[in-house]
Amino acid sequence: MNKIIALTKKELHSYFSSPVAYIILIACLLLFNVLFFMLIEQNREVSLRDIFQVMEFMFIFIIPLLTMKLFAEEKANGTMEFLLTAPLTPSMIVLGKYFSMLIFYSLLISITGIYYFIVEYYGNPDPYSILSGYVGIWLEGALFIAIGLLTSSWTRNQIIAAMTSYLILFSLYFSISFTKYFTGFAENFLIQLSTRSHLENFAMGIITASDVVYYLAGIVLCLVLTGLSINHRLWQ
Amino acid sequence: MSILTVEHISKNFGALQAVDNVSFEINQGDIVGFLGKNGAGKTTLMRMITAFLAPSSGRIFIDGDDITKHSLTIRKKIGYLPENPPLYTNMTVLQYVKFAAEIKGVTAKKQAVQLAKVLEDCQLEQVKHKTISTLSKGYKQRVGIAQAIIHEPKLLILDEPTSGLDPMQVQQVLALINNQKEQRTVLLSTHTLPEIEKIAQRILMIKSGQLIIDQSLKTLLKGTDQQANIDSDNLVKGNINTADENSAKDENSQAQALTLEQIFFNHHQESAPLSSKKTIQTPIQTPNQNVSNY
Repeated sequence: MNKIIALTKKELHSYFSSPVAYIILIACLLLFNVLFFMLIEQNREVSLRDIFQVMEFMFIFIIPLLTMKLFAEEKANGTMEFLLTAPLTPSMIVLGKYFSMLIFYSLLISITGIYYFIVEYYGNPDPYSILSGYVGIWLEGALFIAIGLLTSSWTRNQIIAAMTSYLILFSLYFSISFTKYFTGFAENFLIQLSTRSHLENFAMGIITASDVVYYLAGIVLCLVLTGLSINHRLWQ
Repeated sequence: MSILTVEHISKNFGALQAVDNVSFEINQGDIVGFLGKNGAGKTTLMRMITAFLAPSSGRIFIDGDDITKHSLTIRKKIGYLPENPPLYTNMTVLQYVKFAAEIKGVTAKKQAVQLAKVLEDCQLEQVKHKTISTLSKGYKQRVGIAQAIIHEPKLLILDEPTSGLDPMQVQQVLALINNQKEQRTVLLSTHTLPEIEKIAQRILMIKSGQLIIDQSLKTLLKGTDQQANIDSDNLVKGNINTADENSAKDENSQAQALTLEQIFFNHHQESAPLSSKKTIQTPIQTPNQNVSNY
């Protein structure tokens, strides 16, 4: 566990020692704030349901920018050899990097928690549906990070890593849009595959086991595949 | 006692045979020089010994443990410096070496003592709070060695540790490596033959993935003195003019350097024919430098 913590700390130091992390943090918050006030103005609702959906769409663009360097940069700089010849298991390396990005992401969405107090000032929002929405958006970001981590382990080129992440995330997000071309099992599969259909429930205050399992299974699958990807390269 | 045993190791990358049936043993406390031209298979072999690459066939034992079965245990016993020091340049020296200590399992209790010792041994105390990106290449190399020895490994593997350094930095890094011999076994590769002569007791030479020489340096130089059909006397005389004791030591040192170069070029004739021997540049040697100076 100490080694995972050391790796997590190293990654966090790496983000915050460059201006990129601060720029992304500030840019996201500015964008979310503008969209939040626009939606409040337009809907006149004391609810964060729409902002969660906007955040979901924005994270498709933002998270690959954060995750693309996780392994690609280590490979390009030659530090991957340092990690892989140290007494670390692939799972320690994967978890160390994953937790660091999760902490950064949690910091980002926790700052938006102020939106609850703003809507509460103007009305009586349902705190449970807002909490449920935050659980949903957190799980969704956690899944996106796991996908970004996986694609970063495939290449030493950060642009390729980001593009591959975009391809996967857009496929997951828009798969629900193709249901009109299919019926039966295929239609149901596309609905279940889409992140939109799962987040929708959370945003409405409904937490179902199937939605939670969807995100957790996706996260575990991506982390396992990332570990295998590193292990494969180690023993190629 | 053998710290490293390599048994019939081969490595293929598709059709390319990078390492071909190599076997050797290294005893505890030895400093072994690993020679071979670029692409000979040195780095591939070192990467297999460090458990970074899996061998296609054969077995490697470190301190009695098979690397394919006890890879994690073995990595605790190895310190490795790749050809390009693997540094996180946005960290300070202290942060980086501390991070290396943490991931290599140095306990929190031992960390402070170990950090102080390694920073002192590698002469990094003055720059410990500096960001690595601002350091010179020589310092970066020493930071690379610091991360390799922070967990007190039994076997230290250095892939061309003096590559790209100026003569002064080379001497500092060689001195640092030489100081390790009392504490651990060292296997190092280099292209600069006089350097390896100064600190290695044994030479392994690899060509096209095959081990072609495995001898102690003394035996190797003695055995080939008579065989070498090169006019090394003339070459040496051309370099040395004085007759005092120090110059005689230099003469001896330079003669040996040339002989080892000749051995190297004799075994790699396709790239450097012996007819071109007189154009070989002897690497810079400062007077009165021998192993005892380190």
